[in-house]
Amino acid sequence: MTRSRSMYLFALPALLVIGGFFVYPIVLSVKMSFTDFTGVGTAEWVGWKNYDRFISRSRYLDSVWITLKFTFLVVTIQTLVGLVFAVFLHRLPAIRNFCRAVLFTPAMMSFVIVGYVWQFIYAPYSGGLNAVLTAVGLEGLTRGWLGDPATALYAIAITHVWMFVGYTTAIFLVGFANIPSEIEEAGRLDGASSWQRFRHLELPLLAPSFTVNIILSTVGTLKTFELPFIMTRGGPDRATNTLSLEIVNNLFGSYKFGFASALSIVMLLIVVIVAVLQNTYLRRREEM
Amino acid sequence: MTILRSSVAPAAVAAMIAGTALADTVTLDVTAWKGNESEPAGLPQLIEAFEAANPDIDVEFSYISRLDTNVVLPPRLQGNNAPDVMMTDMPLVKVWSDAGLLADLGTDSDWYGRIEDSLKPSITSGDATHIMPLEVIGMGNFVNMGLLKQAGVDKAPTTIAELKDACGKLDAAGIKPMIFTGGFSAPLFVIANGIEAMDAPASTLGGEEAGFADSAAFNGVLDTVRELIDAKCVDPKAQAGLDPWSTALTEFKAGNFAMMPQGAWNIVDFSSVDGLDYVFAPVPSAKNSGVALDLFGIGWSMSEQSQHKEAAKTFIEYFADPENLQVMLDAEAAYSPFKGGASGTPDLAAPYDQSRIDGGVIMYPFAVLDWPKPLENEIWDSLTGFLLDTEKSNEDVLERWDEAVEDSF
Repeated sequence: MTRSRSMYLFALPALLVIGGFFVYPIVLSVKMSFTDFTGVGTAEWVGWKNYDRFISRSRYLDSVWITLKFTFLVVTIQTLVGLVFAVFLHRLPAIRNFCRAVLFTPAMMSFVIVGYVWQFIYAPYSGGLNAVLTAVGLEGLTRGWLGDPATALYAIAITHVWMFVGYTTAIFLVGFANIPSEIEEAGRLDGASSWQRFRHLELPLLAPSFTVNIILSTVGTLKTFELPFIMTRGGPDRATNTLSLEIVNNLFGSYKFGFASALSIVMLLIVVIVAVLQNTYLRRREEM
Repeated sequence: MTILRSSVAPAAVAAMIAGTALADTVTLDVTAWKGNESEPAGLPQLIEAFEAANPDIDVEFSYISRLDTNVVLPPRLQGNNAPDVMMTDMPLVKVWSDAGLLADLGTDSDWYGRIEDSLKPSITSGDATHIMPLEVIGMGNFVNMGLLKQAGVDKAPTTIAELKDACGKLDAAGIKPMIFTGGFSAPLFVIANGIEAMDAPASTLGGEEAGFADSAAFNGVLDTVRELIDAKCVDPKAQAGLDPWSTALTEFKAGNFAMMPQGAWNIVDFSSVDGLDYVFAPVPSAKNSGVALDLFGIGWSMSEQSQHKEAAKTFIEYFADPENLQVMLDAEAAYSPFKGGASGTPDLAAPYDQSRIDGGVIMYPFAVLDWPKPLENEIWDSLTGFLLDTEKSNEDVLERWDEAVEDSF
């Protein structure tokens, strides 16, 4: 009994911090999502009106769809490209540290700088990408990459991948380092080719790295707003208007703190559901 | 000992006087989204002059960007820690004054009596006013006269017919006629021409009574945009999603386009470009004068919680003095919000000035709260969509505007 009481006492500071800094803000957001709060003054209770508006207006459901699509693109491309880089660097120890540092550099840059630089690369009239395409005789492919709803989301996704692929690579390299060298040696002795060793030995043993990479990048990307905000401000015609951007616009563009809180709660639910489903599936896969 | 006493005594008296003077000095906390290095707006100079003229008031100035103002000031206002004087605009004034956080500056002051009649209703709420306007900035059409002359056009177009004619000549000369981004540039053209064609005040469309979808004026403007596309003024698909704040400005400065609807705040930047021969003209419209679309942007507001209301009032009134305000107007290439027509616009804005004189002034409806703020983004988005697919019906575009108005209630 005494032991149990002292356990609770020791846990109390941590529980207070979690309650004060994590649980309370969420409870406050839920409460605010039922009001018409404008950021200052008093808030009036409006019941389910904010949630009703979220469901009844297609623009908000579109934002959810864009967020999910963007996340799927980024997580898939980033994981695959990161894996490819890690496989090569694992086999090329002489340049591994240098390349890892180079790949990691974009992640250390500010979103604002990255956004503006890529905005000029994608610019329709004097942009770098169009200039390269023209130089190699592919003028027919030139376009306003960020100005075309068909390409804008992909263009931002590529920028996002460029920025964070170093993280993914680093996590996979740690995964490679954790594979016992005896297993690789056994594979070699059995005459397995490099591809066979990767496919049947390394890939299954990298399962924990996949779990960490996919969950971290999914949660991070679901909440992303910086690059769409800087590069397109959600345009053209909302083609890149993620849910986070919608929240920011409602907060600071329209002073609808109550409605923005409702959107935040919806986003929180989406993040939790996606993360739980992913985690369950990936953990099960690790045990196979 | 005597020498020591005789030197200490006056020093002590001086220290006491200085101490008393220091105690009487009021420190005013002032915030603004202008006054930094990139957009000084004459503020550093004016604050220095104010302090010299009012030695008992010390101004502690903080630059807070407009975007950050939304984030930084509400908690301070809520937490009884607001600055004494804050730079505001009407959307902020609406939210903060409704919450009782801004002091009433009164309608009996000298400066209030001098405000332009067109502005007074917007800044007055019953018998109260919570903002002293500082400037009105023009939004019109930047015209590269060097390129126009190459195409054989020697006057900036002010009518739709002149615009189409100029576009035809420019296109024939291999010059791209106009930047018409779905965000900002196209909306300026559509809003200016739509309001000009309306029979009723702009505010009738921002409320619950009437809708944009049924407005003959706005339906007509969208048809005019299609005509501009046919007249080769605009390459809609390439320009619809162009960033109006970076790429579009760079393209105009580089001389890649002949015209661009934008705000006069770019004049200072454009004038620093060597060889850019341009004028600032009104938005071409059905009227001969074109439309001068004026933006009432900024003003000073006083916090209701300020402990130094008298000093804050003195500070605000200092800017109402025409001589002092002129410093800001010159730096901003702006117009005075007071009667008398003072302006800080350079000669190259003469076509826009002329349009204002000829009666073509329309106030930007979001800045005077005629239309709700969320509609602004919806107009940008929907016009971008419209430029990407001009086969869309006018109703498809304008119904989105009505939905945004409805959502704002």
